Amino acid sequence: MKACWRFKKDLVAYLSGNLDSSRSRQLDEHLKHCKSCEKELEEIKKIYDFSADFKAELKEVMETVEWGKLSADITERIWERKEGAQQRRALSWLYNWRWQPLTAGLILGLVLGALFTFVVIKFSQSSFPVAHQKSLESEIKVSADFMERMDFALARKETVDYLNRSQYLLLDLLQSKRPEEFSMDVIGNKIQQLLTEKKYLNNQLNDLRLLKAKAICDQIELLFLELSQLSPDLADKEFLKLRELIEKNQILLKINLVKKELQQGEV
Amino acid sequence: MEQKYDQLDEHDIEFLVDKIKQGDKEAFMKVVNLYQKKIFALTYSMVREREDALDLVQEAFLRLYEKIYSYRKGENFNAWLMQIVRNLSIDFLRRKKSRKSDSLESLDIEREDLSAPNENPGKFSPREMIYQAAAELPERQRLVFIFHHFEDLKYEEIATRLNISIGTVKSLHFKAIKKMRRILAPQLGGES
Repeated sequence: MKACWRFKKDLVAYLSGNLDSSRSRQLDEHLKHCKSCEKELEEIKKIYDFSADFKAELKEVMETVEWGKLSADITERIWERKEGAQQRRALSWLYNWRWQPLTAGLILGLVLGALFTFVVIKFSQSSFPVAHQKSLESEIKVSADFMERMDFALARKETVDYLNRSQYLLLDLLQSKRPEEFSMDVIGNKIQQLLTEKKYLNNQLNDLRLLKAKAICDQIELLFLELSQLSPDLADKEFLKLRELIEKNQILLKINLVKKELQQGEV
Repeated sequence: MEQKYDQLDEHDIEFLVDKIKQGDKEAFMKVVNLYQKKIFALTYSMVREREDALDLVQEAFLRLYEKIYSYRKGENFNAWLMQIVRNLSIDFLRRKKSRKSDSLESLDIEREDLSAPNENPGKFSPREMIYQAAAELPERQRLVFIFHHFEDLKYEEIATRLNISIGTVKSLHFKAIKKMRRILAPQLGGES
């Protein structure tokens, strides 16, 4: 009995099957005549029995679990979370403290922009019919004035140009002492060109009410028509008659006056 | 095909772990298949609630996936994984205990009703008694007890799973039984 403590130390290993065979045989022998050790062994056996009861419960519960489904569910859930985390990581720079001022600025800009747009739309909607129409009208008016001034300036320029060329032609006529010096072949083309231009100028002079200019241009036109009807072999008498007509009607003087007025924009 | 993970070669586990690190879903599912029952057995033995135990299994695999990059080749995978499960189960029980304590305080319920089994011997079934008694053991003794008594693991297997020596397992088991005898003395008919 003195060695009981040694055997008691081995009881757990004995029951759990972790005691070597020679030691197990010694313990078997000892247990045959040691009530104390036998009683202790019975207690430990009861612990094993109670454990077996819990083990049965564990087994029952485990049988209720669908293991194949569980493993698939667990894997799917974890993979979903993983993919979600990857997406969040892609946007994580927005939450990084270094980017927070930029993020805040962007958000503030968007909010203010949206607010400003809302206010503009709201106000323009309430006053749209009147204000918008007025602005359109003023735009058209300005544009029409501008266009009119442009037409006027162009017409003046073209008229002055016409008068200049007519004046040169008439000066040639006046400076020629004899008809031979005044070649109708050359002059005829210029006259025809000026007559064509006059037809184009007529519309502008009428539309823009350049009355003085129109009057002198009409006289020049008549003169040119007369000239264009003359034969190439101009007689001295006819030649002189034309010169007298120009001088008598002071056509060159009138041309100068009208030109000056046109250039000053008074016509 | 189910495979008992204790029989799985270390290289096989490392191969699967490498695959998981590369984002292989199939490899991860295989690891879940291999370990889910063992993890459930432990978590159920710790919490004794089916749904809670299943939640812990899922939580354990999530933690495993999160920590897989910290696992190093040559490390004892079983012990590494069991450490995760142990920590989760202990945290869970701590939270549960805290909640229970809060609710008891608020509802002013008598604590006697939930006292240890040895104080009301006739009230509990053997499975209840053994569970309650095991819950009172220190952590490592409790784990050795659970692995040996509820999962039928041999000392060598327990040593591998906990990454400790067989001698330590033997010693922890002896101490666990000693304490269990003291806790369950009225039910065992022995000395208190």
